[in-house]
Amino acid sequence: MHIFEALNPVNAVSDQISVLLQLLWFVFFISFFFLYPMFGQRAQMAFLLRDIEKKLNRLKLISDEVKQRTIQGIRQNGGTDQEDVLSQKLEGLLEYFYIQPESMDPVGIVYKLEHILNIGENRFEEQVASLVPSAPTHKVKSLTNLVEVARAVNFIYRVVRHYYLVGKKTANYVLALQLQMQLPQIIEIAEAYRNASFAFLNGQPIGDGVGVLVAAKFARESKIISTSEVVKDTSVSLAEFEGRKVYIVRATGPGGTVGKPGDAVLKVINDSNEKIDLIITVDAALKLEGEETGKVIEGVGVAIGGPGVDKFKIETIAREKNIPLYAIVIYQSITEAITPLKESIVKSAETALMRVKQLIKEKAPESGVVILTGIGNTIGIGM
Amino acid sequence: MPTAQREQLKGYVPPMTYLKCENCGTVNSRPHVDGDYIFKSVEEKCPKCGATNMTIISIHVEEKNKRAK
Repeated sequence: MHIFEALNPVNAVSDQISVLLQLLWFVFFISFFFLYPMFGQRAQMAFLLRDIEKKLNRLKLISDEVKQRTIQGIRQNGGTDQEDVLSQKLEGLLEYFYIQPESMDPVGIVYKLEHILNIGENRFEEQVASLVPSAPTHKVKSLTNLVEVARAVNFIYRVVRHYYLVGKKTANYVLALQLQMQLPQIIEIAEAYRNASFAFLNGQPIGDGVGVLVAAKFARESKIISTSEVVKDTSVSLAEFEGRKVYIVRATGPGGTVGKPGDAVLKVINDSNEKIDLIITVDAALKLEGEETGKVIEGVGVAIGGPGVDKFKIETIAREKNIPLYAIVIYQSITEAITPLKESIVKSAETALMRVKQLIKEKAPESGVVILTGIGNTIGIGM
Repeated sequence: MPTAQREQLKGYVPPMTYLKCENCGTVNSRPHVDGDYIFKSVEEKCPKCGATNMTIISIHVEEKNKRAK
């Protein structure tokens, strides 16, 4: 029976087809083992690079948009330079750099860093002011912040482009993969900066200013004795609160500046002969994913961001004079910190204010002396 | 609104300015304009009592649908 089946012409044709299919499958299988190691990774690399390129184009669009908004801000505030001259001056500002002090010998490095930052910030602000010679001081400060945002976005774009090109040139799959994995977070930060540029252009208060808002609300609800600008861009108000003397330190608004709270606290402590009972710092803090925006939490230490110079100064003097340090922070995301204030953060400022008052009543005796420091960018928040 | 302008404004929600009348204590709101800042005294007319002595007490973005994650 098998012989007759084999001799059947129909069976012969189907056998040939199956042999052909088997042969094809065999060729494919063998070639897969030889070709995949050589070309498989290149194919994956091509997909990766294409994905990175798309996201890099998005970063370029964001960078260009923020740059245009900066030019718009300069024009709105009386910038009269020609288009090409203004673009050239702005390009210089966007690539402005600070060189970190040498850290091989770390003794005194904080003061070296402070020296470099002071020169750099003053020069940067001078150059922005030269673009808008007729603008008032608070507008120049807000514009300086806007140029800094444009500089940050430009830097993000340049760094991502650098790693993309290095990965492409050297066909480094691991480098390209690492870059691709981090790009969603990088783009989120760039988008946050993009939204922040609106706030700085229009002088709107941002989430980071919640610390200053708490200090300002405290001042308004207390009996103010005197106010003065003791150091650059930083004011100190002396107030009376339920029998206690409170020195309220905050950046001078409504222009965009963080002031020098460290220097101001040092000056208050050195100039007054009184014993300081406690130092309270109020600031925004980064929340973890899933946490509620506007949560108010109390802790110890100095709640100040930045390079660490102000924090170092306050910690040093507090240790010398044995002054307790308390911190009250308001949780928010990085996006919420640099974009216009949200309703939940404004409400949390009231909660934080109540906590500050409670803390002063608990920890400072009657006729005691307290320093309350509101930390943050004071754009859009007046005195 | 042109597409390019709409693209630029995507994700940005402009804040509102909240003003309190120093005479009757009413709080009203309007869109933010350049020059507004918190604690600024403005000579805008109160819609309730007609006094022209108002203070900006807040500038923030309204949150309509707030959900805990």
